[in-house]
Amino acid sequence: MREILYYFERDLKRWTRSRKSVFSSLAMPAAWLVFVGLALPIRFTDNYLDFITPGILVMTMLFASLQGGTLLIFDKILGFLNKFLALPAPRESILFGKILFIAFRGLLQSTVILAMAILLGVKMHSFMTVPLTYLVLFIFGVLFSAIATTVALLVDDYDSYSAMNSMASMPLFFTSSALMPYEMMPQWLRVIASLNPVSYAIDTVRALFSGNFLLDGMVELTAMVVVVLMVSVYVFRKATV
Amino acid sequence: MSIKTIGLTRYFDKLCAVDNVNLEVGNEIFGLLGLNGAGKTTTVLMLTTLLKPCTGEAYICDFDVVREAGEVRKVISYVPQDMAVDIKLTGRENVMLYARLYGVADRNRRVDEILGLMGLAERANDRVNSYSGGMRRRLELAQALVHEPQVLFLDEPTLGLDVAARRKMWEYISSLKKNGVSIFITTHYMDEADKFCDRVAIMDRGRIVAMDSPSKLKNNIHSLSAKEPSLDDVFMQKVSAEGEQGGFDDYKFRTLLRRRK
Ligand SMILES: Nc1ncnc2c1ncn2[C@@H]1O[C@H](COP(=O)(O)OP(=O)(O)OP(=O)(O)O)[C@@H](O)[C@H]1O
Ligand SMILES: [Mg+2]
Repeated sequence: MREILYYFERDLKRWTRSRKSVFSSLAMPAAWLVFVGLALPIRFTDNYLDFITPGILVMTMLFASLQGGTLLIFDKILGFLNKFLALPAPRESILFGKILFIAFRGLLQSTVILAMAILLGVKMHSFMTVPLTYLVLFIFGVLFSAIATTVALLVDDYDSYSAMNSMASMPLFFTSSALMPYEMMPQWLRVIASLNPVSYAIDTVRALFSGNFLLDGMVELTAMVVVVLMVSVYVFRKATV
Repeated sequence: MSIKTIGLTRYFDKLCAVDNVNLEVGNEIFGLLGLNGAGKTTTVLMLTTLLKPCTGEAYICDFDVVREAGEVRKVISYVPQDMAVDIKLTGRENVMLYARLYGVADRNRRVDEILGLMGLAERANDRVNSYSGGMRRRLELAQALVHEPQVLFLDEPTLGLDVAARRKMWEYISSLKKNGVSIFITTHYMDEADKFCDRVAIMDRGRIVAMDSPSKLKNNIHSLSAKEPSLDDVFMQKVSAEGEQGGFDDYKFRTLLRRRK
């Protein structure tokens, strides 16, 4: 278990020692919030910023997680993975180290958004909203960073990974309940959106913001995490180059 | 036996990269020699559990590299052919990561010791992006040697090292051998193999074409030629004798040119 922290620390140091990448990953999501929440001419609900903030939070976590898969791709291309896979440390600690770092970085980005949202006057129901929101975002981040890291282990090069990343990320976001309430969606989109795991996270966070706790959403996300982690651990244990 | 392979074979599609290799390596320095593409790295990858053999078996300290891969990883250290050190971390941080992942006891002392041995003590707290190529290579060796393995795999470890670093590395490897470590090394430097390896195997297109101590190999071709042979001569003779069908064929090339007119 300690090995997870060693791998986490390595990625953390590598990231924080590059000021540019720290700055850009923290500034980008904030720009999104301002753009979509304030500047977009369409409004699907009365107080659109209240409505869109949970969506932007989950989107940030989604993009951070999928982008996080490139960490493993580069470890693989640059030969680090070969060395790690031959070490006695359990191989799944490579996976968990990545998940921890990607989710941690995603939560930092989410913090920027939450802070901005509060500054812009987004209403939160109670003081429990923030910690529970973090919890949902963390579970959601674990889900998608596990998928991203495992896919990264299986594909051969950066180009095919980023192709898969862009093929997955935009559709996942736009077919979720991020941008409009279910009632406003066309029938076909409503069906897809209600099956999309991104919507589970958004709906759960949105409920938290208005003072409700959606146990269903949490349970569904957690169940998916368990299944995905079991598959991912298996794939890491069996990995060859 | 530290390393034992029985009919070890690996295909990449149709290409047979490693062809029915049988080896036994004990407490010694064992050198694997061969031209580019001979299959040395592929062999090492299979022995370090990173690649699955297509057929055949391999054992490290009696553990099967496929079925008991976890046990194998506990007793080996591996330096890959391609350099991979974190340039944003300092030299010490790079080595400390591996000391922790190997679960080395008394880490701080051990990390300092190995950095000193590799001549990196003064630069240990500098970020690696300020290191020269040879220093990075030495750092990579320090990462593998911070742990005291039973079997050590080195894939062209002396590539790009200066004379002093090279000598230090060989001295250190020899001292490891005295402490009971088995060393499996691939190299293109015949003089090194000649001087330091107890036994060498010459690999040609996936097959082992000769295996013995450097002096025996040299003696065997001594009877054929008049001058004092070096390991280079042995190597070229073994490899080219086998390499005719696939090599540059003067006659075929000329007929090919003639036909194109
Ligand atoms: N992943 C792979 N896919 C397809 N072919 C491969 C792969 N890896 C190696 N090969 C082929 O297998 C053969 C042996 O390669 P290997 O890397 O083992 O050679 P080597 O002896 O280490 O050479 P060098 O001295 O250049 O390092 C080569 O013909 C190479 O092209
Ligand atoms: Mg090689």
